[in-house]
Amino acid sequence: MATVLEPDRTRPAFLVCDGNEAAAWAVALSRVDMVAVYPITPQSSLVEYLAKLVADGDLPAEIVDAEGEHSVLSVLQGAALAGARTYTATCGPGLAFMFEPYMRQPGLRLPMVMSIVTRDTLTPQSVWGGHQDAMSVREVGWIQMYCETVQEVMDTIIMGYRIAEHRDVMLPVNVCHDGNYLSFGATRVDLPAQAEVDAFLGVPNINWHAALDPSRPMAVDPLTGGAGGPGPRTFVKYRKGHCAGMQKALSVITDVHAEWARRIGRVHAPLVECYRMDGAEVALVTIGSMTGAAKDAVDEARDRGVRVGLVKVKTYRPFPVRAVVDALTGVRAVGVVDRSVSFGWDCGPLYQDVAGALGHAGLPLPSMSFIGGLAGADLTPGHFGGVIERVAQLARDGQQGSTVWLNEKD
Amino acid sequence: MTGAYSTIAFDAARCDGCNACMVSCAQAKAGSDEVADSRIQIVAGDGAFELAMCRQCGDPRCEANCPAAALVKNEDSGVVDWDGSKCVDCLLCTVGCAYGGIVRNARAGHVVKCDLCDGDPACVKACAPGALRYVTTARIYNEVGQLEDLFVPGLSGCQGCNTELIMRHALRRIGPDTVLATPPGCIPGMGSVGYNGLTGTKVPVFHPLLTNTASMLAGIKRRYNRLGREVNAVALAGDGGASDVGFQSLSGAAERGEQILFICVDNEGYMNTGMQRSSCTPYGAWTSTTPVGEHGRGKTQDAKNLPVLMMMHNCAYVATASTAFMEDLYAKLDRAIAASKRGFAYLHIYSPCTTGWRFPSQDNITVARMAVETNFVLLWEFDPEAGLQLTHPVDAPRPVRDYLEAQGKYRHLSPEQVAHIEAGIDRQAAFIARLAQAGGAPPARPSFA
Repeated sequence: MATVLEPDRTRPAFLVCDGNEAAAWAVALSRVDMVAVYPITPQSSLVEYLAKLVADGDLPAEIVDAEGEHSVLSVLQGAALAGARTYTATCGPGLAFMFEPYMRQPGLRLPMVMSIVTRDTLTPQSVWGGHQDAMSVREVGWIQMYCETVQEVMDTIIMGYRIAEHRDVMLPVNVCHDGNYLSFGATRVDLPAQAEVDAFLGVPNINWHAALDPSRPMAVDPLTGGAGGPGPRTFVKYRKGHCAGMQKALSVITDVHAEWARRIGRVHAPLVECYRMDGAEVALVTIGSMTGAAKDAVDEARDRGVRVGLVKVKTYRPFPVRAVVDALTGVRAVGVVDRSVSFGWDCGPLYQDVAGALGHAGLPLPSMSFIGGLAGADLTPGHFGGVIERVAQLARDGQQGSTVWLNEKD
Repeated sequence: MTGAYSTIAFDAARCDGCNACMVSCAQAKAGSDEVADSRIQIVAGDGAFELAMCRQCGDPRCEANCPAAALVKNEDSGVVDWDGSKCVDCLLCTVGCAYGGIVRNARAGHVVKCDLCDGDPACVKACAPGALRYVTTARIYNEVGQLEDLFVPGLSGCQGCNTELIMRHALRRIGPDTVLATPPGCIPGMGSVGYNGLTGTKVPVFHPLLTNTASMLAGIKRRYNRLGREVNAVALAGDGGASDVGFQSLSGAAERGEQILFICVDNEGYMNTGMQRSSCTPYGAWTSTTPVGEHGRGKTQDAKNLPVLMMMHNCAYVATASTAFMEDLYAKLDRAIAASKRGFAYLHIYSPCTTGWRFPSQDNITVARMAVETNFVLLWEFDPEAGLQLTHPVDAPRPVRDYLEAQGKYRHLSPEQVAHIEAGIDRQAAFIARLAQAGGAPPARPSFA
């Protein structure tokens, strides 16, 4: 609403906080109209921070304490159809419970940002971090971006609104930050000035295409499809439009990150980040907060003369096929490290995508899947050192082994 | 200027010829105990009593015949008024009337006719068997007749379906500043949201999921509240989506006091998808998932009493209604609309399903009325101030067998099953009566005293 904050006086220029608190501040900076919340570990403190920001007047938004995640997203879908900029966060079982409206959101082309504070899925019963929740919904049609640092959590949520609301995109964005490691890991975080964020995001127009508004009455989402009349082609038109929006998002994400760097002065790789890839003969592919330890291991290996580099995937959906292929062109072997499992292929889902991209590009590199960090397990530089060693061997002998489970003996 | 008027209706089947109506009229209008002085006359006809009384005709022959302008149709009340100061006692009016509705009275010395006792007819009050009723449903026409029907013509409901009636009446009453949610079921099934780009509704309308009607409406309503815009958030939902898979979101929205009007159209099952059982399906009923066979005798559990559950949420307003009692339904609709500006309003309307309950399509209102007359369905309303009140108490209910025999879905019932249903009706009536006596809101927390 019209409440005007004076953020530069009431808000600090930086905080020492964890990823959940950084996310809540990003929501406030994005001037979100409505948040709906339901607590679940390890997301809970995030919604507590949101409630506190609302109570303190730092976030002048409507807050709905819904009775479950299913209603959380449903409330926000209704609000978005009435024009609201919306936010929520969930993970694990909460995401599973939310799945029915979650599946619908991108088809409605309703932009929003939702954090997934990633958590491994049940069962085995677990409350700790892992990417299995977010990875399980990778084909639903949301944009997914995975953060490496707490600062990136804050910046990506704000950028997420710009991406989601772009007329060429009009899709919801999941900003994924690792449960435990990013949700509770505290560090210094710089806050952009409110005026900068306002100028960056502009005035939202969420429901220009599909509104529930008596001043411009329309039926939203009538039955579409079937075997007769205009049904088949109408349905195909919507599906193709959704795919087109996803593909256009690749350039929008790139442009938005560039503009963020220009305006705010912080650089984050939009699709993939190449780390010490110059002259690399072997490459690790990582995603999320594990990347920090992996970079340390790469540095250590480079010091020993191993020509290894790292490609971090930030944007996972849409999958940046071209950027991944370009980044890996020139290496002799690839090791992909996942924090989740593709049960259908007995490997990690990111590995599947990387292998698919390489094959699609006619670049059949020897590659292997490594899975670690499940259910909160630590992924140390030691683990990555082992991965580098194994991939270097792969580069030498070309003998692809089966999936390696990094915490099998931890 | 009104378009329709209240009137006295006569049901010959209920009349026992007691003459109480005539005596009360004579007393009220002539200060006499002589039935000859009554302006209503019950006469023995061919096997049934007949009524001789002024019909307050729309185009009165008595008025046309009157050379002195002593008889004039009153456009406000609808009564054909007689003005003694103009009457010349020519009796031409009595010749014109085909109903024996205006006759010369010897004691008065001039013609007399019914004037409806200013809207409170003495005869109706005196009629113990209920053969005479003062029908005031004309107010519905007068109040909403000029309002726009906000559904298009040609919704494709089953023949004889009353749900379309509920939809059209409700939405025209609620008005165009509305966002309407119709979760999957008969209501969108008959084309309200539409198909492949066409729609059947003139207000913003959408399919929520079967599960999240109340939640989506809550988001919409809160958004408009925040924008300072008054928009009605309305659901027209079926009993399956409300009582089963959508109950969590319904309960959550009610607990939070979201400003929603939630109308549950109860046809006792998933009728749109092929007549499957819901938790609102009554005991013993055949459905396609509680079939009748060697081992199956219909549903084996009693229906969930969803309106009572909603009342226990202490909503701003909760009521049950029936399409056979439109005046009662309208009064509740008005109160529900008003309550939805303050908090959660829940209206549970019983809507017999010709297709799924297996009765002829012309019998829908008959079945709906019998449900109330047998106490199978109780009509009541609740608000936190007044508590629960029965709006159409039936003290001497008809045997429930009449209701059960009217529907194919109960055709297989054993005597034991009928006895179970009869006992359930008595229990329900007693339970609701206790709530009515208790008054006020349900306790916010359980008392352990």
